[in-house]
Amino acid sequence: MARIVPRTEMTLVEKAYIPEIARGLKVTMGHFLKGFFKPESIPVKHYPEVEPFVPRDYRSRHRLMKRPDGEPRCVACFMCATACPANCMTIEATSSDDDRIEKKPSKFEIDQLVCVFCGLCVEACPVDAIRMDTKKMAFAADKRETFKVGLEDLMDWDPKDYPESDIQSQKAPGGTLNAQARKEWGLQ
Amino acid sequence: MIEFDLPFILQCAKFLLAFVPLCFIPILIWGERRGASLIQDRLGPNRANIPLLGGLRLFGLVQNAPDGIKLFTKESFIPKHAHKFWYIVAPMIPLCIAFLTPSVIPWFAPMAVEGAKGIANVSGQILDADAGVLVLFALSGLSVYGVVLGAWASNSKYALMGGMRASAMMISYEVSMGLSVAGIFLIVGSFSLTNIVEWQAAHVWGIVAQPLGFVMFLTSLFAETGRAPFDVAEGDSEIVAGYFLEYSAIRFGLYYMGEYAHIAIASALVSTVFLGGYHMPWLGTEVIRANLGLVGGGLLAAIALLCIWIAYASNRWSNIYAKMNATDAAQRKLEYRVMTGLFSGLAVLLLVAGSALALFVHPQQVSVGGTEIWPLWVNLGTAAIQLGIVVAKTLFICWVFIWVRWTLPRFRYDQVMGLGWKILLNIALVNLLVTAVVAKLVKG
Ligand code: SF4
Ligand code: SF4
Repeated sequence: MARIVPRTEMTLVEKAYIPEIARGLKVTMGHFLKGFFKPESIPVKHYPEVEPFVPRDYRSRHRLMKRPDGEPRCVACFMCATACPANCMTIEATSSDDDRIEKKPSKFEIDQLVCVFCGLCVEACPVDAIRMDTKKMAFAADKRETFKVGLEDLMDWDPKDYPESDIQSQKAPGGTLNAQARKEWGLQ
Repeated sequence: MIEFDLPFILQCAKFLLAFVPLCFIPILIWGERRGASLIQDRLGPNRANIPLLGGLRLFGLVQNAPDGIKLFTKESFIPKHAHKFWYIVAPMIPLCIAFLTPSVIPWFAPMAVEGAKGIANVSGQILDADAGVLVLFALSGLSVYGVVLGAWASNSKYALMGGMRASAMMISYEVSMGLSVAGIFLIVGSFSLTNIVEWQAAHVWGIVAQPLGFVMFLTSLFAETGRAPFDVAEGDSEIVAGYFLEYSAIRFGLYYMGEYAHIAIASALVSTVFLGGYHMPWLGTEVIRANLGLVGGGLLAAIALLCIWIAYASNRWSNIYAKMNATDAAQRKLEYRVMTGLFSGLAVLLLVAGSALALFVHPQQVSVGGTEIWPLWVNLGTAAIQLGIVVAKTLFICWVFIWVRWTLPRFRYDQVMGLGWKILLNIALVNLLVTAVVAKLVKG
């Protein structure tokens, strides 16, 4: 059923146009003067010099979690690669040195130009080995190859950049819980 | 036989004034960008810097340099289907005209100087012609040839459509533009812009005498310079880019600069015809000459105040920026320190110079062959002050151009034509008629 939306008639003053122009000029001048005399009132970030606030659960660049001994937590089960809608993950498995664990990845590559940052890989992982909480959201490089990040890149993170309450991160080498975790794992 | 005497030298020196609109171009581009961004609650381009002392950015003015270098060094591409000769010539036309049009604008009051054949009068215009403003209209009307020729020579339908629109608009608005200032000519009784300014100095400013004429003239000028809200010659959504569609690199840059030079000239014309030109209330030419020290000192003090404000603002912003945890905090701190120091120093210097002027300069008239005239340095000082006044007024009108552009939505093509022929023209005619009757009654 068609619904007729009544148009509001313009008043005589509005039709005369000139007063409305004056009103518009007043608005723009207001914004100009405010920005001119109080630049801090302009709602812009001085990016990239000033870092914007990125919440921890923002889906940013991936990282691979580490065991207390620094090995990747990943068990090369291919769940993430299967879940990935963009098909941008390439994983190759090899047998693990630790006899408690069957496999580990020998190659773990994510093509970030293809990735759609959906986070499904994180959801799929059964051992919480892949996360997207690095807060890294700016990607720039001059070669396509640079966007393909491998095992080393993905594991290159520092527990100090993660909060104390993030127990899994703190158990990795360099973290506050590492010594304790190593003991539990029977290392030394 | 040309005498190489003082009036002749002054006459030659006046040719330098042809470069005034050219100097406006970088300032206008900067003003447009940063003005637009402030109006839209943004900051605008402010990163380009001279890598010195933490990167001097001069409030974004430096941005013009990389833009210019880019335009100059890019490949100047000529499309195969274009008509080569006219394609190359066309963009030069608007900029050439920008050099010619300032010739009839009076930048300062006429001065009497001693020449080889007694006292000669040197006027503030480069070309002291009776036709005055008609020359300006004729020349600035020519600049549309650059647009149309370029569009035609590009041999592209979108460019051609843009050019056609530009010429149609030029024809429509030229009529109402001429008619809306005709009132002033009627009242003053002269086409010479110096006479018009002198009349305004003796009576009232043109904006008071002809308020309707002022509004209509400004509107027509918006249309003639092809600025929003009348920028139908360009239209990304309809005709891709407009008349300069096939142009790139510096040829495009020439159009771009020509447009801004045109705005500068148009603003100078408005300030001359309607805002009193080089005249300021209570600051007539004779007043300035007699109190050159005082007026000059006052002017320098005003500029010093501006510098103090800039120094204060730089310092204030540096404190705010320091709290933002920026990665370049140290650099910026150094830059703002330099800025604050520079402008405070300048302010002190200007204040000292201003007070010295006000205290020690008391010009006296000298007698040449029985006639009292001012010495040359007084005349030149006055000319400088008056040039400053004209430039300040012109800058203000330029700002109005920018301000209006970023306020009003653009008109549709048929609306532009309708406004030009059905409304502006009629009001201009009625205005002219009423002015004529009143002028006849008053002047008798
Ligand atoms: S975020 Fe999505 S697209 Fe990117 S790797 Fe993970 S599953 Fe694939
Ligand atoms: S990251 Fe997780 S889901 Fe992907 S292969 Fe490793 S263990 Fe399996």
